Amino acid sequence: MDFDFSPEEQKFAEEVDAWLVENRDPVVMDHHRENFTQLSDTPERRAFMKKLAAKGWLGMSWPKEFGGQEIEGVYEYILNEALSKHAAPQIGKGVGIIGKTLIRHGNDFLKQKFLPLILEAEIEFAVGYSEPEAGSDAANMQLRADKVEGGWLLNGQKMWTTSAHFADWYWVGARTDPDKPKHDGLSLFLVDMDNPNLEVQSLPTIGKDTTNQVFFDDVFVPDEYLVGQQGKGFQMISEALDLERFTMFTLSPIANRSDVLVDWVKEAKRDDQPLKDDTNVRRTIAHIMTDTAVAKALSTRFVCAAKSGGKPPTIESSQYKLFTTSLSQRVCKDALDIQGHEGTIMEGQNDAPLRGRFEGAYRATMNETVGGGSSEIQKNIIARRHLGLPKNF
Amino acid sequence: MDLDLAEEQQMVIDMAKAMLEEHCPTQLVRDMEDDPNGVPTELWGQMGELGLNGLLIPEEYGGGGLGLLEASFVYEELGRAMAPVPHFVSCVMSAKVLLAAGSEAQKEAWLGKIADGSAILTTAWLEPQRGQGERGIALEAKSEGDGFKLTGRKRSVPYAAVADQLIVLARTEAGVDLFLVDPNAAGITRKQLLSQGREPQYQIDFDGVTVSAEDRIGEAGTGWATWKACMHEGIILLAAQAIGGADRCLTETVDYANQRVQFDKPLGAFQALAHYMADASTRIDGGRVLVHEAAWNADQGRSISRFGPMAKLFCCEAYRETTRACAQIWGGVAFTIEYDQQMFFRRAKALQLSWWDTPYLEELIASDVLD
Repeated sequence: MDFDFSPEEQKFAEEVDAWLVENRDPVVMDHHRENFTQLSDTPERRAFMKKLAAKGWLGMSWPKEFGGQEIEGVYEYILNEALSKHAAPQIGKGVGIIGKTLIRHGNDFLKQKFLPLILEAEIEFAVGYSEPEAGSDAANMQLRADKVEGGWLLNGQKMWTTSAHFADWYWVGARTDPDKPKHDGLSLFLVDMDNPNLEVQSLPTIGKDTTNQVFFDDVFVPDEYLVGQQGKGFQMISEALDLERFTMFTLSPIANRSDVLVDWVKEAKRDDQPLKDDTNVRRTIAHIMTDTAVAKALSTRFVCAAKSGGKPPTIESSQYKLFTTSLSQRVCKDALDIQGHEGTIMEGQNDAPLRGRFEGAYRATMNETVGGGSSEIQKNIIARRHLGLPKNF
Repeated sequence: MDLDLAEEQQMVIDMAKAMLEEHCPTQLVRDMEDDPNGVPTELWGQMGELGLNGLLIPEEYGGGGLGLLEASFVYEELGRAMAPVPHFVSCVMSAKVLLAAGSEAQKEAWLGKIADGSAILTTAWLEPQRGQGERGIALEAKSEGDGFKLTGRKRSVPYAAVADQLIVLARTEAGVDLFLVDPNAAGITRKQLLSQGREPQYQIDFDGVTVSAEDRIGEAGTGWATWKACMHEGIILLAAQAIGGADRCLTETVDYANQRVQFDKPLGAFQALAHYMADASTRIDGGRVLVHEAAWNADQGRSISRFGPMAKLFCCEAYRETTRACAQIWGGVAFTIEYDQQMFFRRAKALQLSWWDTPYLEELIASDVLD
C-alpha cells in the first residue's frame, strides 16, 4: 500500500504544474467557469490545447503506432488533475473515448483521418447519446439511421449535447436496426458538424454555459463514417467508458473550492468578529474537509483499480461519482450558508464575496448529480454489480 | 500509488479473520454483554497466543512491532466480529502511553504482559459533567511527601474489574499527569454502569488514593500531550473497527434483502431500499481507504492531526448511519433482541460517542484547518 505517486509520476505532476504556472493566462484559465473550464470552446483555449499537444501530452497512453507513447493511463489522470486545478481546458473526449474507440474499432480511413487531428489538437468533438426519450435509459435512442446508396440518412433529435455549438465533428449513436432488441440496434457514426441538414439549438442554463439540442433532417453520412460494426454501438459506448478510465471527472476543482472557502473564512468578519470563531462555521468546515478527504480516498480507490488493469473499475467509478458530485453541491450550499445574505449577490460583481464564486458555483454544480449518469443510476449500478442485489427497474 | 496488500499484510488479515470466526461467534458477544468482567477467556487467550495483543508493541518488549496500518486491518476484523475484548484500552491506549512516555522500569514491568495477554491495563480518563478535552481532567492529584494523593471520580472506565493497573489522568500543580495506579489500592471504589455498547464500563471513585512519584508516567505536566498523541493514533483503529462493524451489518442486510419477499419481489428489488444499501457501501468503501491513508501516514511519520480525527468522524457516522438505514430494510425485527441488528445499532452509536465524540473531533479538524 502506498498513497504517494511514484517518483516518476511525482516528477511528471511537478513538471505539468510548473508548466501551467509558466503559461498562466487568465483568458484561458478561469475558475469562475467551473465545470466548463474543461472545454476548448474559444480560439484562445484551442490555442492552449495546441501548446499541450506540442508538449506531447495528448494521447500519451495511445499505442505508439498511432502516435502515442504507450505510457500508463495514470499520467493522463495526473495531467487532467493538474489542468483542472489551474482551471485550464482538459484532455477529454477526443483523446479519451473517441480516440480509443477508433483505435480499437475504427476502419483505416477513420483512423488516418481523425487520430492525427486529435493528437495535434486540431479537432473538437461533441458526443450525442442523450435524446428526449433516452435520458437515464441511454439505450432507448430513437434517432434513425436508414441505409441508402453509399451511406446512411440520419433523422431525429439529440439532447444535452454540451459542445455542439463549437465542435467540428459529432460522435453520434443512432438506431440502424429498429427490429432488434434496443441494446443491439444501435450504431456509432462520425458526423461533420458543418452538415447543413444539422440544426443546433442552444439551451441556455442557469450554469456557466449552454447545452444544446441538435436536430437531424436527412443528414447524409457516407458509409466510411460508420464506426466499427453495425449494431455494436451500445457495446462500444459501454466499452469506451471502461477503456477511458482515467480522465472522466477530476477532483481538483472540488478540492480547490474547499480551499478557496477555507481561505475566505480565515479572513472574513461578521459583526466585527472573526467568522472562523463561529462554532457553526467551524463545524461546517470540519465536515467539508473530511468529506473532501473521503472523496480523495474514493478517487485513489478508483485510480488504483484502474491502474491494476484488471476488470473495469465500474463500481469504484460509480461510488466516486455518487459521493463526489453530491459533495460538490454541498460545499457550494454550505459556502452560501456561511456567507449569508451576501451570498446572494450575483457572480461577477466585485462587491460580492469572492466575486460571487460560490453564487455561481451553486448554480453551475446543480447538474453534476444528473449529467454523466444520475446519482440514482450510480446507486443502481452499485446495488446490482457490487452488492449483488436483484434488478430493481 | 497502490492499495494492494503485501503478502504479510494479507496473512495478518486472514489469521485474524479465521481466529475470530472460530472463537468469536455472535453468541459469545451476546453472552459477554453486561458481564462484570467481560473478557472471554478462550478468545483472549487465542489473541495473546497469535500475537495480536502485542501487535503494536516493539519486539524488544515482547511484541510484534507492526505498524498502525497492519493494526487497522486487525481492527476492521475486531469490529466485524464485535469482539468483546479489552484490546483497545490495554494493547493500544495503555501500551502506547507507556511506549510514548513510560520509564524503562514501567515499560519492562507491563509491556511484555500486555503483549502476551497475562495483564490487562485500562485507562481512567473521563469524568462526570466534564468534556473530552484537557479541561475535562479535574480529578485531583495532590503532592504529598514524594508522592501524590488522588481524589475524584472517573467515568466510563472499560474493563476496570479485571484490570491489573489503571492509567489515570489527573490534575497536578504542573497540569495534567498520567499515573499508574493499582485498582485494588485503598480508597478506590469501582461501580459498574451499564452502557449502550454493553462492554463493562465502570465508575471509579478515588478517595485519597496514595500514588508514588515513580508511578507517574513521563515528566510533570506532560500527561495531556502524551494522551492526545496516543489518542490520535488510537482513533484511527476505532475508525477501522467502525468500518468492520458497518461492513458486516451491511453484508447481513444485503443477504436478508435478497431472501425476504414482499409484494412478490425480494426486498432488494425495491430501489428505495437498494439505494440505502448503495449509499452505505459507498461510505464504507471510502471510509476504509481514508482509514488506511491515515494509518499509512502515521506509519510514515507524517502528521495525523487532521487525518486521525477525520477518519474517526467519518467512519463512526458511516457506521451509525449504516445501522439506521439497514434497520429500515429489516423492518420490525431489527428492533427485537432476537435479531443481531440491534447489536450493531447500539455499538455504532456508543463508539461514536466514545474516545472523542463528534463535536470534539469537529473542533480538532476545524482548529487544524482554520487556526
